[in-house]
Amino acid sequence: MVALTIFLAALLLFITLFNQTIQTAVLYQRHRVIASKCTDLLDNILLNPGYPTYWGPSNVTPTNFGLQDPEFTQYRLSPFSLMRLKSLTGTPLYYPKTGLTYSNITMGFGNFLFVPYSEVVNYSTVSRLLGTNNTYDFQLNIAPIVTVSISEFKSSDPLIVTVSVTGKGFPLAGATLSYCFLTVDLQGGGAYPSYTTAYGSAYTDEKGTAFLQFPQITDDDTSYALIVYAYSSNLIGMNYHQRVTEDRQYAIPLIDDFGTRTVLIAHSYDVHYFGPPVAEISYNATFVLLTEDFTLREMPIENSTGKIGKVNYGEGKPYGTLTIPTENPGILIITYRKSANEGGIILMPWGLSTMAFEITFGADMFGKEWVATDIRQVTVSGMAYQAKLAVWSLEGYQVKG
Amino acid sequence: MMRTVEILLVIVIITGAFITASFFAVLPTPRQVSPMNLRRLALTTLQTLDVDHGLSQTVFEPANDTTWNDLKIALSACLPPNIVYNMTVYEVQTGATQLYNMTNSLSNAASLGVSTGASSYFVASSNVTFNFIPEKIGEHGGGGTLYILNCSDAYGWWITGYTAQKLAEDLYDLLSPYFQATIMVQNTTQLGTILNGTAISSSPYENIANAVVINTCGEAVPIPSGFYATQGTQDSYAKYCYILGQKTRQFNLTWASIVGYPLYYVSNAGLFPSDQNTWGIYGMRLVGPAGLNAFLEGLDNQPYVYNNNWITGSVAGSVYLSSESQYYCNYYGIYPSYYQSSSRALPTSILTTYHLNVPTYIFDPSGGYIAGAVYRNTASGALLALGLTRSPDIRLTALGLLAHYKPRLYRSDYNAVGTSRLVILQLGQMGGV
Repeated sequence: MVALTIFLAALLLFITLFNQTIQTAVLYQRHRVIASKCTDLLDNILLNPGYPTYWGPSNVTPTNFGLQDPEFTQYRLSPFSLMRLKSLTGTPLYYPKTGLTYSNITMGFGNFLFVPYSEVVNYSTVSRLLGTNNTYDFQLNIAPIVTVSISEFKSSDPLIVTVSVTGKGFPLAGATLSYCFLTVDLQGGGAYPSYTTAYGSAYTDEKGTAFLQFPQITDDDTSYALIVYAYSSNLIGMNYHQRVTEDRQYAIPLIDDFGTRTVLIAHSYDVHYFGPPVAEISYNATFVLLTEDFTLREMPIENSTGKIGKVNYGEGKPYGTLTIPTENPGILIITYRKSANEGGIILMPWGLSTMAFEITFGADMFGKEWVATDIRQVTVSGMAYQAKLAVWSLEGYQVKG
Repeated sequence: MMRTVEILLVIVIITGAFITASFFAVLPTPRQVSPMNLRRLALTTLQTLDVDHGLSQTVFEPANDTTWNDLKIALSACLPPNIVYNMTVYEVQTGATQLYNMTNSLSNAASLGVSTGASSYFVASSNVTFNFIPEKIGEHGGGGTLYILNCSDAYGWWITGYTAQKLAEDLYDLLSPYFQATIMVQNTTQLGTILNGTAISSSPYENIANAVVINTCGEAVPIPSGFYATQGTQDSYAKYCYILGQKTRQFNLTWASIVGYPLYYVSNAGLFPSDQNTWGIYGMRLVGPAGLNAFLEGLDNQPYVYNNNWITGSVAGSVYLSSESQYYCNYYGIYPSYYQSSSRALPTSILTTYHLNVPTYIFDPSGGYIAGAVYRNTASGALLALGLTRSPDIRLTALGLLAHYKPRLYRSDYNAVGTSRLVILQLGQMGGV
């Protein structure tokens, strides 16, 4: 009897031990499947343009999802398709005058990108198109490889700006900097603000740093914007920096329609009310393209299509409307003026890469148990980006979040 | 006692089995279970570095050139900090026993660790010339002659900024490699000769049947003096357009209109020295919308009925190249803007009225209108019409014809000695398990 009991106990123990080994192996196998799914899904997203092919610069919801630039092959992404992805990270913005909520891909004050929910492609649609709904969740992050940091070293007389260029793992020494410096003129140009531009180039030192000097800035009350492109061995990055003299009442560009390339110009108080007094804002818009030699070329916006205008807060005060003059990527520059010495400058990318914006799209992976990730180096309008995909399972034992 | 010994023996056997099974059932490390795809990362890194052919230039530089240092910095900068690399460049040799000869190598670590992945990438020197031999249209029978109207005695309209002769020259450069015979029609008399079914050159390949005729005069069409001017004078020369439609059907021609409203004017400087097209251009007569209607009637072998109704439409917004056209843009290396303005798009209703099929859409149809397509009559003859707003982009005409006839390209080998290099980027992952 004792022998039989010992035998049965031992048998049970060993069955449990074998079972654990098999279970762990099965689990590992499932994890490997998720990793394979991740790499397949990432290539699937990056290596096809979707359908319709040019769904990015249109209002159409794709019936097949992909982010590849239809004019190129390999890992080149469309700056417009990326712009139409619903941002996971930015706080959505509600604009009462249109009654619409906007996806927020803004990268800080003065560098806005708001796309209405009616124009963005949301995660549930994409998940359904990719066939991952109810089986996998994913999060896609597209971020620039080259980080260009700009800070003021000396605020005026002369203005000195420090530019640091780094990659994912190393500073970019000896990189060529090509910059555009825009000084806002609040007093010239009649009722509307204007700006003057200056171009230049420089090189980073062995630490990836350069100092740019602007003697034309003689006092701290001058608004300006600095757009810097850095490139070395085909790695291209950019950043911008601006200083404004009025940061409460300003103009906010909101994308209205991709198909007709219309942008609304809203008064900031309609979005964030800071209390009286309320002032009318006049603005002057310009669109610039990046040329092959990394200088900016102006594309004129006709007065009839909203180059200049005035906006105010409250009911009965309409927003402004302007039309982007081209279907090519570029930067919308809006100088605004509250008074003769208060104003500033606002930038908005037309095509995500033109201002090196980053986008995170998909589901929230906080607290998920096993997340497989994979990365690819991609280019968006010539700008070097890294695409990172995280995938986790929604079904199965010990593999779902 | 015996039973206890047996049980102990069984336990020893099962333990041995478990240990043996555990020894062989080695579970992979987490890195092996969920590996980063280093091969893809290496490939995309090389593609990123070569996006403007920067890598292609650097790998052909001497090993002591400063661009190698820039490449090393760029490699270190674009890879994540836990990834180390070894990039080796080989020269591709032909006719030697050793096919690959190493020319340079870059690395940022003594060892790449246990988990590595590598990708190879071929680059060609900028000195290499890529050649291709196109299949000739008509090579296997059925046409193969391209007539380009280069009439010195006819003027153009809606070809603003160009002359018909300049457009003809560009079209010749673009399309002559694809046709067995490309013939410039130098004057309206030669046009009349062709319409009579007589060859105008000594080329053995000239064949009027199944030929393509490109009218470079835009909205105007050259008209020969004599028979055609006499027979076609009815209804402000709408009848001439009808005869043109008949001839198109008779010889199974493909008549190409490069811009605007097709056959809206007739042009002959000698015939109309004191007439002008209502916009001050002498040597030209206004036909109006009746010209296109008459042409389509002739093409469909319908009796001539004067119809001066305007049938084209203006498409709101832009019109976009069809997916087929986009494919052939890449195939033939012709890249016009993929969106255009169209104010003279033909209505889809003509397809039923005149028994036309559309084998080739140059632009996607929009709102019941087709901005650019090849319309082929079910019996014989075709019209290529680009109802775009001036000025013309003759690349679109070339693209439309090539997309329609689809001549194949036979690409030549470019793997010459010293002109190709093989770049291998091997990546290793450091840290972690």
